[in-house]
Amino acid sequence: MWPIPDILLDINFFQITSSYIFRLILEGLLIGIIYSLMALGLTLIFSVLNIVSFAHGEFYMIGGYVVYVLLTRFKGMPGLVGIVVAALVTFLIGAVFERLFLQPMAKGKVDRPSEYAILVTFGLSFFLQFVLLGIMGPFPKKAPRFWSFPPIDLGVIRTTKATLFLGNIPLSGGRIFAAIIALLALGAMLWFMFRTWTGWALQAVSQDRNAAAVVGINPLTMNTLAFALGAMLAGLAGAVLVTVFSWVPWVGVPASAKSFVIIVLGGMGSIPGSLVGGLILGVVESLGTGLFPDPARAQAYRDVFGLIIFALVLWLKPTGLFGREL
Amino acid sequence: MKFRRIYILWGLTGIFLLGLALYPPLVGLQPYWILVGMTALFYAILASSWSLLAGYTGQFSFAHMAFMGLGTYAAGILIRDVGLKPWQATIGGILITGLVGLVIGYLCLRMRAVYLALFTIAFAEIFRLVVKAEVKFTGGPNGLEIPPYTIPDALQAVFRFFIPYWDANPYVPAYYFMAVLFFVSLLFMFMLVRSRFGIFFRAVREDEEAAAALGVHVVNTRVLAFVVSSMIAGFAGIVFHHFIGLIVPDQMQIGRMSLIIAMAVIGGSQNLIGAALGAIFIHFSLEWLQSIPLPVAVLQQLLFLEDIGFSVDLNAGVLRTNAWRMVGFGLLLMLTLRFWQNGLISPVLDWLARREAAETVAQRFQAERDMDAIDDVQAITNPAEAGNPSSSSEPAS
Repeated sequence: MWPIPDILLDINFFQITSSYIFRLILEGLLIGIIYSLMALGLTLIFSVLNIVSFAHGEFYMIGGYVVYVLLTRFKGMPGLVGIVVAALVTFLIGAVFERLFLQPMAKGKVDRPSEYAILVTFGLSFFLQFVLLGIMGPFPKKAPRFWSFPPIDLGVIRTTKATLFLGNIPLSGGRIFAAIIALLALGAMLWFMFRTWTGWALQAVSQDRNAAAVVGINPLTMNTLAFALGAMLAGLAGAVLVTVFSWVPWVGVPASAKSFVIIVLGGMGSIPGSLVGGLILGVVESLGTGLFPDPARAQAYRDVFGLIIFALVLWLKPTGLFGREL
Repeated sequence: MKFRRIYILWGLTGIFLLGLALYPPLVGLQPYWILVGMTALFYAILASSWSLLAGYTGQFSFAHMAFMGLGTYAAGILIRDVGLKPWQATIGGILITGLVGLVIGYLCLRMRAVYLALFTIAFAEIFRLVVKAEVKFTGGPNGLEIPPYTIPDALQAVFRFFIPYWDANPYVPAYYFMAVLFFVSLLFMFMLVRSRFGIFFRAVREDEEAAAALGVHVVNTRVLAFVVSSMIAGFAGIVFHHFIGLIVPDQMQIGRMSLIIAMAVIGGSQNLIGAALGAIFIHFSLEWLQSIPLPVAVLQQLLFLEDIGFSVDLNAGVLRTNAWRMVGFGLLLMLTLRFWQNGLISPVLDWLARREAAETVAQRFQAERDMDAIDDVQAITNPAEAGNPSSSSEPAS
């Protein structure tokens, strides 16, 4: 008979308690909010420009490096300023790139636009990765922590400087902080999309370019705005996570892979899809990693769960959860 | 006899083939330069097989390097754990690559092109991370040893007879194996794209519905192209690493993949030979750009570059560019895509082969728009003059 694989014998079932599961789900939701933020940017770009930006992870990486450089150059600077500057920088890079390389495509000056879009955004990611490798070097950087919890003791909720205890469940403060900023950014973004004229114009262009042009919206301006905003959201996600993870020039590659999983899972171009998809991916990854039998290799398998979700969605429901069309 | 441009092409081909055959003595049998040439040929196979998929079917795989690594790791593990001979493991590795390619192909190629790109980029990165983590199985970051091929003595004697410097160093046989593999795989791909399958590839790329209506099975055609191109990548990887002796997971990182794409696009991804030449050109350029020899006086002015990652070596009199040489090619990739979509090398080849420039989609649309505009303007301004396009050549759009 077949022997039982070692990997199954290694599972310590006694270690799996309900509070452990609860903690994993909470951690998954916290990181999932940031995934949602990133995927929302990609969704915005896809719904308006009808392309997928393969340089999305590089904007995430640049956002992180901007905060890192500001915090190490100017000691005592408030971290929020760094985050705002990171958002501005990624917004500008996105806008300039869109003007130079994607606008000719929208104007019909480029052959085979869909293939061009894939390759030119991938080319941008190649370019940005090596620019940052040249400037920052290949060694991992970690930004200093620039905030701390006020001391609270409410019995159930206690805080130390860098950790929040919910009952006896410790939650990393860096992730909570990142999730709060990401939630604020998500809220602001959704408000912008659904409650302002410019947001409505973006939606109009995503629904019907010609009709939008007829009522006086310039689709080219909206293209630039959507790409720059998408890049900015990725930059924000990087800016809030740079204190949590160590940063290398290719840190954006797995991050962008996660965004791709989320937009396919949620349905290409669907805003609720990217929000729900991000949370699902966060929880699945967290549970999968936490329950993986061999803790030494668990971190490496963190991304594999995303790939499995990706394959399942492509196999069973290629339109995704909220997708409109193929 | 009338002079024709194609004679130049034949002459250049002859020079190229002669250079390919005589490369080791041309560089004075230095192991380093033979290795560089061999690696250039390896990248040339990868770039041209990538352009078989990208340039002929319009699908983009970012997992080409991952398939190369997959085949090599499969072969290495087959040798180590199953005890196969290297040549058997080569065949096994290629088959495993094809099998994985088949699964991924059927998953992704039913949808628009972007799905394959999305899935393969995730697959490539995650495959690399898993290989790095599975230390017991794959050797982890330290890599997996791939034992060399054993060449029978009789065959050795034949090679030694025809190539007098065969034994000069172990890189010479490796180089020639790679050169033969380069030649054979290019010939195979060339025959494939000239066969009816090549026409299917292009038909599916140009107009999916029309091709399907004419009886081409769209998904199967794309999967065929994807599997063939992945298997060639696996084959090249296995043979190359049998001579190198070791594969490490970082060989599969996304930066290398970007470089393959830059090679294919800058050479011309619509043209297998253009892509291969692009790869050879870029590999040698990168080698040269690694340390640019400059006069010391100039180098002293360039010391400020050290702040942004260059290093200035005054003793050796060179400027080491480190990551910045790749930045240059990233920029060149983007500019090539934007302004010379057929690449930089393949238009020259096309011109020499006296091929007519293909009508492009943008040109066709522009021509249609121009005609429409002319008709409209004439119908409005002067119906009597309709049919004389010189009166209004400016499109109204």
